[in-house]
Amino acid sequence: MSVPSPSSRPASIGGVLWSRLIWRHWKREPALTATLAGILALGVAVFLAVRLANKAAVSGFGLFTESISGESDLLLRPRSGFFETSVLRDLREISGKRPVDFFPVLELSGAVQTGAEKPDGDLLRFVGVDLVAIGNAIGQSEEAGEGVGFSAEEGEPGLLGVTDACLVGEAFARARGVAKDDRLRVWINDRVADLRIAGILPDPANRPAIPENLVLMDLPALQKVSGETGRISRIEIRFPEGKAEGGIRAAASEGLAAWAQERGHLLETPEDRKASVTRMSAAFRLNLTILSGLALLVGIYLIMQAMEAAVTKRRGEIAILRSLGVTPDQIRRTWLTEAAVLGLVGGVLGIVLGRLLAEGLVGGIAATVNTLYYETTTDAVRLHPGEAAFSLVFGLIASLVAGWIPAREAALTPPSQALRQGAQGGGLVWLRRWPVGLVLFAAAVGVARLPALTFGEGTNFPLGGYLAALLAVLGASVFLGGLFPPFARLIGWGRGEAMRRYAASRLRAVGGRHRLTAAGLSVAIGMSAAMAILVASFEKTLTSWIGQLLKADLYVAAPGSASVANGNRLAEVDWRALLSLPGIDGADTLQRHAVTYEGRELLIGGAAYHDDPSRHLQLLWIEAPAVIGPDALETGGAWVSEPFARRYAKRSGDRLTLPTPSGPREVTIEGVYADYGNEAGTVLVSRRLAEEWFDDRSVSNLAIYTSPGVDPEAVLESIRGRFPALVTRTNEKLREESIRIFHQTFAVTYALEAIAVVIAVAGLGLALAGLLLERRNELATLRALGATRRDIARAAMWEGLGIALAGLAGGLAVSFFLGWILIGVINPQSFGWTLRYAVPWGMFVFLSGVTLATAALVAWTVGYRNANLKSDREE
Amino acid sequence: MKALQVSRVTKSYGSTEVLRGVSLSLEPGERVALMGPSGSGKSTLLNCIGGIDRPDTGTIEISGVALGGLDEDGLCRVRRETVSTVFQFFHLLPTLSVRENVEFPLQLQGLSVKERDARVDGLIEEVGLSHRASAMPHELSGGEMQRVAIARALAIEPRLILADEPTGNLDSATGEAILDLLASLSERHGIAMLVVTHSPQVTRICRRTLEMRDGLLLGQEE
Ligand SMILES: Nc1ncnc2c1ncn2[C@@H]1O[C@H](COP(=O)(O)OP(=O)(O)O)[C@@H](O)[C@H]1O
Ligand SMILES: [Mg+2]
Repeated sequence: MSVPSPSSRPASIGGVLWSRLIWRHWKREPALTATLAGILALGVAVFLAVRLANKAAVSGFGLFTESISGESDLLLRPRSGFFETSVLRDLREISGKRPVDFFPVLELSGAVQTGAEKPDGDLLRFVGVDLVAIGNAIGQSEEAGEGVGFSAEEGEPGLLGVTDACLVGEAFARARGVAKDDRLRVWINDRVADLRIAGILPDPANRPAIPENLVLMDLPALQKVSGETGRISRIEIRFPEGKAEGGIRAAASEGLAAWAQERGHLLETPEDRKASVTRMSAAFRLNLTILSGLALLVGIYLIMQAMEAAVTKRRGEIAILRSLGVTPDQIRRTWLTEAAVLGLVGGVLGIVLGRLLAEGLVGGIAATVNTLYYETTTDAVRLHPGEAAFSLVFGLIASLVAGWIPAREAALTPPSQALRQGAQGGGLVWLRRWPVGLVLFAAAVGVARLPALTFGEGTNFPLGGYLAALLAVLGASVFLGGLFPPFARLIGWGRGEAMRRYAASRLRAVGGRHRLTAAGLSVAIGMSAAMAILVASFEKTLTSWIGQLLKADLYVAAPGSASVANGNRLAEVDWRALLSLPGIDGADTLQRHAVTYEGRELLIGGAAYHDDPSRHLQLLWIEAPAVIGPDALETGGAWVSEPFARRYAKRSGDRLTLPTPSGPREVTIEGVYADYGNEAGTVLVSRRLAEEWFDDRSVSNLAIYTSPGVDPEAVLESIRGRFPALVTRTNEKLREESIRIFHQTFAVTYALEAIAVVIAVAGLGLALAGLLLERRNELATLRALGATRRDIARAAMWEGLGIALAGLAGGLAVSFFLGWILIGVINPQSFGWTLRYAVPWGMFVFLSGVTLATAALVAWTVGYRNANLKSDREE
Repeated sequence: MKALQVSRVTKSYGSTEVLRGVSLSLEPGERVALMGPSGSGKSTLLNCIGGIDRPDTGTIEISGVALGGLDEDGLCRVRRETVSTVFQFFHLLPTLSVRENVEFPLQLQGLSVKERDARVDGLIEEVGLSHRASAMPHELSGGEMQRVAIARALAIEPRLILADEPTGNLDSATGEAILDLLASLSERHGIAMLVVTHSPQVTRICRRTLEMRDGLLLGQEE
């Protein structure tokens, strides 16, 4: 032909290796390649799904403030209680002529009366905003109103000056089946009001939907309806765009900060505020953290398993290449290229799959969040480009690392050894040394004893605990490699059945794939079982705590009391009238106030106990006070909850300075009590003191003791007759309710863990499919010897069972240790609860049974489907 | 009754006719060699006889049982009980020891441990591998592996052994030894045998030699 031009020179050896070896292999074995990509995709998907679902749930917790005035730049709040409207005048004064917009907001909780089916009512958040000010702002900047998606035309005319008009979001209307111009009977503070729905706000695009429990009103109207005349919860501050740049803005901020400092108010950015408000329970957050870790590890093991398969299936070929003089380095590079391409293909598939999974998960999370916190909506699942890219990078890096180790090993194996038929191939060396697992385990025990890292503002991070958990999980996955021989012996027990013995021989010759698959399973099972231990311990502790705590006959609360966020009260006239009903002997009363203490929310409780020495609230003491009894608080001391004591390292005898509307107040701690009901921290003082500090004589909760011989049910009926809006429950009912809410917290956990276990079992199925594809010649031999399709399926089932058994044993073993870390290290360090260790044996039996049964079924099916694979041998 | 009766068997892969109407028969205990160039269809014929593959047309009877009338399980039973195959590449199960490999088909048959032990020990002895009974396949030489495969094939006491180039992967001395072993065992146990081979010495152990060309046996009418 013609003279060779530079472009037609032979391709580099890498290119040749790539096109001849990898690409052709893929084309020749589409099923195996697809299986590998599928495993990778599962790994990336489980990782992405949990992240996306978390993100959606967490962004739903974002404060709604953000959206009210578009994006506010700063938030001004009193440390406790309310501002008076006059504060606005002061603010205008100190900001002088600088262009700053102030938006006063009054936020109150209330309830809608939906009839008898929902005894607790629905907790509502009433937000009163100054529509005139917002209207002006909208006039100046188009974007400002986008937040809640209402424009001047929609919102303004119907609301201004009308005291009974309100706006709700689409979700609110859907959930309660109401439409524009319908009326709502609501309870705000201690008053009942009849509101007209003046309009339904459409959900804004590209933002979290409008919370399902939000009712928006004009500020003066809400002040009037609620009786909070002249009061404001917070002021949102905005620097109008284009007018307040750089210097002016900084000067204004500085002036405001100095003023707030002097007055003892809080000036924060919305981000500060989000971080400091811990509306999401610590238990729930811990939950999500652990689940992300679980997803990460399961994902990594799946990817390692896939890459191990990709390399080992060609050990023979690598040996041939070596014998032909290709250098180990060239081989490594070729295989890393394959790992990268597989990782990319699997990653893209995983992103699609993860997106779908997240959709399912987020529904579950949203349900839990709503039940627990009455807190807004969860964000719709969106495939954040950042998250997708992150997952892709995760998949790619994990594939490269996972591919590099076996590729390196394969490249360095002397060809003579690798070429020998049946030589034990592959696998990560460290995975083959089960004693390494014991070393990791010992390290875990050591690390667990490290003290927690302490950040400012009473936030503790149990680094040692998390590290110990990670080491233990890794240790278990290495150690379980040592379990294969005994399990193989167990499965091959006796000399009975041919296929069982064959499967046992396969398990004896355990390869990296078996180990990695079992390791993935052990992570999923270990972490699920550990969470089950945590839940069981929690439940046991909670049940005995509730038993000790709930001694009264009837419990009365303002609507929505199940939520920590509730600020509803009963006015003094009402609760005094209630207590004078016939048949009531006396009551414990409590008023609660949320204040900000060292940057975090703190509840101050004012308690007054029934004066019968044998019948009043009995707290569970961590540090008992010197005097216990109905009047013990009346001397002016304070009792603090365990989470508070742990977070701020306080104990009996320490002095505290509490922020109150009437100025800072100092008290001495006289006792520490267990409180599993909230982790925000509570300081209990006498109700008399709280009334004085907060200038408020209402109460939040009443525990009622009926007179001897009186049927509590009858008293309950008479209270319901007089006060239909109140939530009144018998002792028994309240216990049930508490346990139900508790279970609801963890419902989504079970769902997420089930997914991790399902994915690990799916990984087992794919691993077996890959193994059978590699062993197709052996399958042909089995068939030639007269094994039926069902015989081969049975062999696959036994092999799958062996892997599952190793994973299960490793997982359950590590779960006891993980459970101990969760209960004894992470839990007290991060949210300050003392829990009693309990093991849910029934749950363990169930988990084991379900895992083994599904693994057996999956493995049998894979075996049956692949039994007739054509052999590629030439005769 | 014939040990094997093949009549007018055809088989095509796509548009290539691999078998074009093959007929042959073996008496009980008879040994027949099948020769012919590579690609002439010998392995395909053996696969059809062994029930691993099914012919397009024609019939195959083994000891009077027509394979065409059997379902998948029936074919498995035939392979488990009446026909054994010995392969060029041995195809031992790599994770089973010598002993376990020989025992495997008996276990599939569901024989008791006692019966199995008696038979397996005898067979390993017969192929001369008693000293290597607990070795793993990858520890064996080619000749040893083929001996194990032969012991395994004999274990079920078949009526017919199909051997597809049993010496193809062995040096000529070892190959000869293997052929002698096959012949003596077939003689002793009265097993019919169809041996595909390129080795000229095979005529020493076989009474008849058939020649295959392009999917037809030479000397056979089309
Ligand atoms: N599974 C198959 N698919 C397609 N062609 C096949 C298959 N098996 C065998 N052949 C073809 O059939 C012909 C005969 O093969 P084979 O019986 O293996 O010959 P021999 O054993 O005599 O060398 C060959 O041309 C081969 O390519
Ligand atoms: Mg052939």
